[in-house]
Amino acid sequence: MNPTANSTANATTTAQGDAFIEMRDVSKHFGDFLAVDQLSMTVRRGEIVALLGRTGAGKSTVMSLSMGTIAPDQGTVQVGGVDPSREFDALRGKMAVAFQTDRLLPWRTAVENAELGLLILNRSKAEAREAALHWLARVKLEGAEHKYVHELSGGMRQRVSLARALAVDPELIFLDEVFSQLDHVTSQVLRRDFSRIVREVGKTCVFVTHRIEDALDIADRIYVLDAPARVCLALSVSEQTRRDPRALADLHDQIAQAIGGDTESADHDPNYSENQDLS
Amino acid sequence: MSQPARTASSVTPSRLGVRAAARPAARPGRRRDLTALCVVSVLLILAMEVASRFVPPFIMPSPLVVGQAVLELLTSDWHHVSVTLLRLGAAVGFSMLVGVLIGLLMGTSRRLGPYLNSLVIIDTGIPALSWMLVAVFWFKDPEARIFFILTVILLPFYALNVYEGVRSMPKEWVDMMESFRPSRWQLMRYLVIPHIVQYVFMTTKSVIGYAIRMVIFAELVASAVGVGSRMSLAQSTFRIDYVLAWTFLLVVLNLVLQSLLNLAERHVLKWRAEAKVR
Repeated sequence: MNPTANSTANATTTAQGDAFIEMRDVSKHFGDFLAVDQLSMTVRRGEIVALLGRTGAGKSTVMSLSMGTIAPDQGTVQVGGVDPSREFDALRGKMAVAFQTDRLLPWRTAVENAELGLLILNRSKAEAREAALHWLARVKLEGAEHKYVHELSGGMRQRVSLARALAVDPELIFLDEVFSQLDHVTSQVLRRDFSRIVREVGKTCVFVTHRIEDALDIADRIYVLDAPARVCLALSVSEQTRRDPRALADLHDQIAQAIGGDTESADHDPNYSENQDLS
Repeated sequence: MSQPARTASSVTPSRLGVRAAARPAARPGRRRDLTALCVVSVLLILAMEVASRFVPPFIMPSPLVVGQAVLELLTSDWHHVSVTLLRLGAAVGFSMLVGVLIGLLMGTSRRLGPYLNSLVIIDTGIPALSWMLVAVFWFKDPEARIFFILTVILLPFYALNVYEGVRSMPKEWVDMMESFRPSRWQLMRYLVIPHIVQYVFMTTKSVIGYAIRMVIFAELVASAVGVGSRMSLAQSTFRIDYVLAWTFLLVVLNLVLQSLLNLAERHVLKWRAEAKVR
């Protein structure tokens, strides 16, 4: 079967389901610079969607639009039925972000960082601590709870940052290039741990990345973005596809072609097909 | 008199890209500092002793005489020392509190910030001596005079350094906080205030010596009680041994306060990796 043709059809069908994020003809300028151009996309509840594109393709702008930290010039953005920039507080506690850099506060220990979101949501100190410890354990950080940020490795810091996002029990999680600053092995282990956790808890997840293999490894669906951001390819990745190295390689080539030839991912991951076999 | 640096240059070591070292590595450094301090002190005392043998005692008394004067002052003038310390504490505490508030407003309020900034910048241009003379015209009460002088001199250091601290806060931390949609107060409580603590410490450490010099100077001009006024009395009664004894005590006071501040800083800022630069 040709997974791609199927996938594009799937992407459209899912769009009509229980949409959590819905963008319609969204454009965004920064001065004269057009960052997002007539973008339409949908993220359904409970799915993991990757926004894939080269650096500068406007992926992060799309994420900021969904988070409501910026408003579109044209078009509509709806998240959980509300406009995220106009009704900023309506989505309080419903979304969380893990960023490219860990963004941990150095004066707080791992557990104090993990509970930060909950404290902002005015949960009691005890409740916040309990949830933070639970999530630190789930991201495999037992024993490091009371360490300060400078005592943790890069991978551990990123795990704390993921625990901080998950601890608020959000409906929607944004992952903004979370694995891209880690070395290959750490990134791969973390990616697998994280996609397992997100699937277990059934959260909706938007995953921004420039690495094709990251997207293929985690996402249910992939939106490939052109610069300025508009969807140039939409496809689904089923578990069956993920287990088939040839189908994956096909998808990889197709995405690489859509975003314009050579891909950083291929250079970064020489064992690409072997890795896919393992999953 | 030299003024402490006004601009904050203390950034967390990790941002400087300097190699972070384990905490105990700093210990031998501290021991070396202490040894150097002892060596320099002994050399100074020896130099005084040698000088005292060649010049009359009203130019340079022997360190032994000065030592006796120190003991005398410590028993008879304790009241003056405590008054000076209280004045110092009150003025530094008040300047810290108000200076930090002004610095926070300068860094966070778009409307008020520029006006406060201008006010503080103008204040930093006014010489300490002008404030001392003006204070004599404006205030009758010596306590008010001294408090006013010290506050107008010390406050801008706190305001400007805290302002620098707020401005140097990484934008990505603010974005991270914003992703949880905090209130303005929560942003202050969880991000801004903990971040500026290191700037408050740095400022206090750099102004404390200056503040001691200023309180003595202000007491000399404006008061009949306190170490400054006692030094003035010693000078007018030709007691150079007392002048030197007070000087010695003030140096010791500065050292003790600096050590206490370092101790408190190490405790409060224990989250910082100590940097070791080769």
